[in-house]
Amino acid sequence: MDISALLTQYGDKYLQALLTTWKLTVFSFALAFLIGIIITVIRVCPIRPLQLFGDFYVQIFRNIPGAALLILLVYALPYLNVILSYYTCVLIATSLIPSAFCSEYLMAGMNTIAPGQIEAARALGMSFSKIMKNVVIPQALRSSVLSLTNLLVATMLTTALASQVPMNPMDLTGLVSHINTHAVGGVTAFLISAVLYCATAVVIGQIGARIDRKVRILR
Amino acid sequence: MKQKQPTIRDALYEAPGPKARKRIAVATVISILALAALVIAVIRRFAENGQLDARYWSIFTRYTTWRFLGYGLAGTMTAALTAGVITFFVGLLLMMGRISSFKVLRALCTVLIEFSRGVPTLLFIYFFLLVVPQFGIRLPALWKVAAPVAISACGVVAEVLRSGVNAVPKGQTEAALSLGMRRSSVFFKIVFPQALRFVVPALISELVIVLKDTTFAYIVNYSDLMQNARVLISNYDALLSVYLVTAVIYILINYILNKISVAVARRTR
Amino acid sequence: MNSSETNTAPPIIELSHVDKHFGQLHVLKDISLSVKKGEVVVIIGPSGSGKSTLCRTINRLETIDSGEIRIDGTALPEEGKKLAELRSQVGMVFQSFNLFAHKTILDNVTIAPIDVLGKSKKEARAEAMELLKRVGVDSQAAKVPAQLSGGQQQRVAIARALAMHPKAILFDEPTSALDPEMIGEVLDVMTALAKDGMTMVVVTHEMNFARRVADRIIFMDGGSILEENTPEEFFTHPKTKRAQDFLNSIQAH
Repeated sequence: MDISALLTQYGDKYLQALLTTWKLTVFSFALAFLIGIIITVIRVCPIRPLQLFGDFYVQIFRNIPGAALLILLVYALPYLNVILSYYTCVLIATSLIPSAFCSEYLMAGMNTIAPGQIEAARALGMSFSKIMKNVVIPQALRSSVLSLTNLLVATMLTTALASQVPMNPMDLTGLVSHINTHAVGGVTAFLISAVLYCATAVVIGQIGARIDRKVRILR
Repeated sequence: MKQKQPTIRDALYEAPGPKARKRIAVATVISILALAALVIAVIRRFAENGQLDARYWSIFTRYTTWRFLGYGLAGTMTAALTAGVITFFVGLLLMMGRISSFKVLRALCTVLIEFSRGVPTLLFIYFFLLVVPQFGIRLPALWKVAAPVAISACGVVAEVLRSGVNAVPKGQTEAALSLGMRRSSVFFKIVFPQALRFVVPALISELVIVLKDTTFAYIVNYSDLMQNARVLISNYDALLSVYLVTAVIYILINYILNKISVAVARRTR
Repeated sequence: MNSSETNTAPPIIELSHVDKHFGQLHVLKDISLSVKKGEVVVIIGPSGSGKSTLCRTINRLETIDSGEIRIDGTALPEEGKKLAELRSQVGMVFQSFNLFAHKTILDNVTIAPIDVLGKSKKEARAEAMELLKRVGVDSQAAKVPAQLSGGQQQRVAIARALAMHPKAILFDEPTSALDPEMIGEVLDVMTALAKDGMTMVVVTHEMNFARRVADRIIFMDGGSILEENTPEEFFTHPKTKRAQDFLNSIQAH
């Protein structure tokens, strides 16, 4: 099938699939960022058992393969009488894995702050929350822009997991496997999805690099 | 009195006063109780649904179970290492193209790197599963996993290698050239070995990603750890326990690889 | 200064019988010290003598095991808002400047007055520009710390401390991290401050500065105060053997 035939027959579906991938990426990343922040707070709080729990969480989800996690959620959880929709399972998998990396990047961002700056803030009479607000959080966020940008791209790539469960509408990867099992889409069907993914990744990368240039902290 | 530089975890909080100490002690106790309650709730959930029954777990006392999982793990390792080796050399070529002085080659490699980095592994797997056979090419199952996983990783590997090459001081090249060495031997004998030392930790981390991606082997029917787990499940009708153990094996292997990466990074610094 | 006020007012900084250990190491041994308003006290001693630790206990950047520290008559609180409030009244200048890397020079000086003292932005900025002019870096106000030389950064750090209108300023080896050609500009600012009547506790290795500016020299070694004297007396007639050795070792350089 050539590209025009493919687009007349599947054009709408590609558009839908692109939107599905984007939507899933945005939701997953938002959740991952939120959970990542909470886990980071837990990991740096002065309560030892919580710290250990946070470290444990990160090790689990940065090391588990996406497919393994999705399979557990979809096929194993029902044996514990926890039945989630396919969409929920995908969303959980594509949020939890990036959340662990998010926490790692935020920790790395915090570690770029010289401890002396925190002492200086303390010596100026700032309370803990003021130190966090004025010194720690802004610097940690600003120095993790590039890694968070990469995480957003990685999250998008992870959402291809959606192709492993029945979804309606399908995502970009699911659509390719659908087209190729129903018709002979050939290389073109694959390339359209690949280019859409890739273009999204490049745009995200460009925006991230621009933000980074703007907020980077000179040292 | 000079003290060693504290890390951020230490620096964030000052030495607690008596009230803070009391609060931390109380919070510690509460958090231990909460975490214990969580663990108990999970275990009870297992028990209530009969998932702690001996028949689900007794298979793990059998040597044959572990041997079969071991075969699967060997399959995973074979796929991961095959993909790892391919991706290293393809990544190396892409990197050399990316830094070469031929404009066209440079542009081409940049595009290929971006393509590799911007497309999900699963899409490459479907390409090898569904599209490649349309051209009458029949690949063995191992290559249907290893090739797409390698293609998906080589862009990152190229960029990692490039960052390593950039980290080698320019003076090294200049010194070698002034000794009359040829450009190619300067790169392979002087620059690249040093670059490689810088990036070994990042390459190990990339191997973790490669290993994780090989779990998609079930799609192409290649016998890896996950695939063998599925066989066990259909034989013993023990889904939850087998998938759980499988996931733990993956997590442990990747955890160990990451630890090695951190240890190597510490040594090369 | 009015002499009757000097006699009745409590000392700005008062340490009595302060002890501190780092694990097995006894780093501060029964330290008692008081600093009056407008006084410049310079603490000297070999490295590892505990002088930096002593300086850092005064605003509780280091905790103490026993003893008492009072700031302007108030016992140093152990934690919380009261501690933060007392700290805001004592300035501190660090060896490594510790400016906030993500903020401009001007914001470095205004942030605490705005966020801790609740000053208006406008007022804080006007005053910060005054202070920056006073330490000679007003032309750099829009830059970030990494764009400044070490000497300039340290002068900004002094302006940042001054912006809080502190009752005293602690200097913890303020010139030790500086290239030699920048030490002078920082010491000049400190000398001017001393002349203006600022109460100062200075830990330093700059003996000429100590001699010129100090009202009193404290010599520490092994965690104890071994000598306390006027600069003239201390540098010409050190009483203890260890102070003599220390001064000799410095002059030998």
